[in-house]
Amino acid sequence: MKEIKLIIADDHELFRKGLAELLRKHEDIKIVRSVGDGSEFMELINSQFKADIVLLDITMPNMDGFQVLKELKNNATDIKPIVISMHSDGNYIAKCAKMGAYGYLLKNTDEAELILAIRSVDNGKKYFSAEISEKMINFMSTQSISENVLSNKETEVLGLIAKGLTTKEIAEKLFVSSRTIETHRANILKKLEVKNTAELIKKAAKMNLI
Amino acid sequence: MNIKTLILIIINSLIALVIALLSFSSYKQFSNVLNDRILLQLNSIKTLKQNQIEHLLKSEWERFEASESYRQNSDTTLLKLPDSIKKSNGIHDFTPYHPAKKTTIGFISNSKRGTIVKVLDYNKIKQILLERTGMGDSGESYLVGQDFRMRSQSRFYPNKTPYTIFVKTKGVANALKGINGRGVFEDYRGIDVYSVYSLITVGKLKMVILSEIDVDEVTLPLKELKQRLLGLTLGIFLLGVMLSLFLTRFITNPIKNMQKSLRIMAQGDYNQTNEFIKNSTEIKEMFEALANLKASLQGAVKFSDDIGKMNLHTDFKPKSSNDLLGKSLLAMRDKLIEFRNNEENTRILSKRMLVNGLEDERRRLSRELHDGVGPYLTSLKHYIENRVKNEEKKAEMKKIVDDTISEIRLMSNALMPASIDDFGIGVTLTNFIEKLKKSTTVTIEYEDLTQQESSNITNHQAINLFRITQELINNSLKHADAKNIRITLSEFEEFISLFYFDDGIGFDITTVKLGLGIVNIKERVEICNGTIAINATPGNTTFEIELPIEL
Repeated sequence: MKEIKLIIADDHELFRKGLAELLRKHEDIKIVRSVGDGSEFMELINSQFKADIVLLDITMPNMDGFQVLKELKNNATDIKPIVISMHSDGNYIAKCAKMGAYGYLLKNTDEAELILAIRSVDNGKKYFSAEISEKMINFMSTQSISENVLSNKETEVLGLIAKGLTTKEIAEKLFVSSRTIETHRANILKKLEVKNTAELIKKAAKMNLI
Repeated sequence: MNIKTLILIIINSLIALVIALLSFSSYKQFSNVLNDRILLQLNSIKTLKQNQIEHLLKSEWERFEASESYRQNSDTTLLKLPDSIKKSNGIHDFTPYHPAKKTTIGFISNSKRGTIVKVLDYNKIKQILLERTGMGDSGESYLVGQDFRMRSQSRFYPNKTPYTIFVKTKGVANALKGINGRGVFEDYRGIDVYSVYSLITVGKLKMVILSEIDVDEVTLPLKELKQRLLGLTLGIFLLGVMLSLFLTRFITNPIKNMQKSLRIMAQGDYNQTNEFIKNSTEIKEMFEALANLKASLQGAVKFSDDIGKMNLHTDFKPKSSNDLLGKSLLAMRDKLIEFRNNEENTRILSKRMLVNGLEDERRRLSRELHDGVGPYLTSLKHYIENRVKNEEKKAEMKKIVDDTISEIRLMSNALMPASIDDFGIGVTLTNFIEKLKKSTTVTIEYEDLTQQESSNITNHQAINLFRITQELINNSLKHADAKNIRITLSEFEEFISLFYFDDGIGFDITTVKLGLGIVNIKERVEICNGTIAINATPGNTTFEIELPIEL
């Protein structure tokens, strides 16, 4: 049976020991090394140390988990990172997923899930539990990143300008200050390279923005 | 000595001096002229009479010589002529030989027929002498013999025999010595007279003729003049005093008024509005200058009053480049502005440091809980997993540890979400509100329009924006009875805008009891150099907060 070579990167020794003891019961998993911070880990990787999976903490001195993920992406290595963190917020999860983490676990994850995650990842799958996935998706749903020239908010403002609403009316409708709308409007004019509202409406119509 | 006395003394002593000099010189002049005139007149009278007498004597003598036949008249019988005289031909003075000492002039001619004696009619001489034209009241012409006895009747002693009157005066003495002259001296009465004298010599007869007038009579007009001059002097002097009194009033009154004004001003009252009579251009100008001074001082006083009340934006222009007071006041204002700005900066800085210290402490505690205590608890969980054999107990214990970890997470987040440092304010508020939504029925909508990864919001601003939002939501949930909350955080190139809305009951900004929260919000806006606009009408409460992008 194939042995899964595991590195633990966490600044808490007690945590590393506890985790090691937990995993020792499982014969297919072997902890080959445990390190106290990100830079120590990267040195190890750069010295062609072979391992399959790294259990990576985010909050570490010298080099944190995010930087490690970034380095690993640029590095020609096939070690698979699973983030194991105290942070339960969706933004942390989403960021780690985006940066190439194969899984995301909370530190107080039960033994069974931990083992499941390690084995799944070793099989080449990504592992995000239902709970973690929900947090991530919830967060991502609030993010409105527009691929268009105008941001989503700007498009909304443009639509209301086209309907003939005044700045004050738009501000009230969108729950922002008048100055915010004025700034949005100025930014829209700048982005579409027009000088006034008439030109703006004309160009926006041409670009199918309204 | 005050100015009034000084002017009075100067003017009046000048007047007195001028009058005295004028009077003295004119008096002197007049007296000299009078002297000359009188003596000249006396002289001409005397000369006239001398000539008349000489002529009379000579013509009588000639007639006497011519008429040999002339008989000795009876008068001569009374005379006791000595032989020496009888033998001497010529005109003689027979008075000493007259028994009654009556003035007698006679002619003696000794010829073969004997001695002829003739007495001149005295009345002829007397007529000449008594002709008193141009002699005034006290003037007289008289004859004196060689023996210093008078020969003609004195006007003043009509009953005295002239011979008995001695005229031993300077004039007679001089004349007998052959000196004709004039002068002022005592006459035979012992009274000062102007006198002109000369010797008459006809044949053997030698007599002195004197024309005299009393000094008193002559100098009467002089005395009158003196009195008139005195009167005039007194009059002019009085007039001078009166005029100078008027003049001093004219000059000193404005000065006194000015003094009064200045004294009031010296006491620090620049608001007096006394009207004074300004009776000349200079004085008018002086009062205008005083008014200017007053206005300038009033301006300075008002300005310093404003400065005292710390109204440091009051404007003030120095009256001129030499207005030291104005310039120092301006310098003082500028210094005060500087001090106030410094104080303001120091105040904001210290507040910022206080808040930063507080937030740093919260952050430290939050991290300690999250990254310190948390891992220990996970370690405890691992321990339970590894060591506890009883499955039931294991599950129970794991549950307690997990709950504790959740609680730690909540506490840590409440103290300071790690997201602020790791992801910025936009995401942190998203997380905060997502979690909040689970525990409240109020609809909260949050729109994050920050620049995410490329955000220019500083950590300091992020923390304060987070606290402000926390406080606002807390207020809405606790006090406002709101159904909807809308929050928009927009980031632009120049500024960050946090717009907060709820449809709660609103509040009175001036009397709000939840004041502490609002005060905290305002303070946090202030230490971020931002602005805040609050509108708290029921159903539409908005907070518009703007912070500048600090690059």
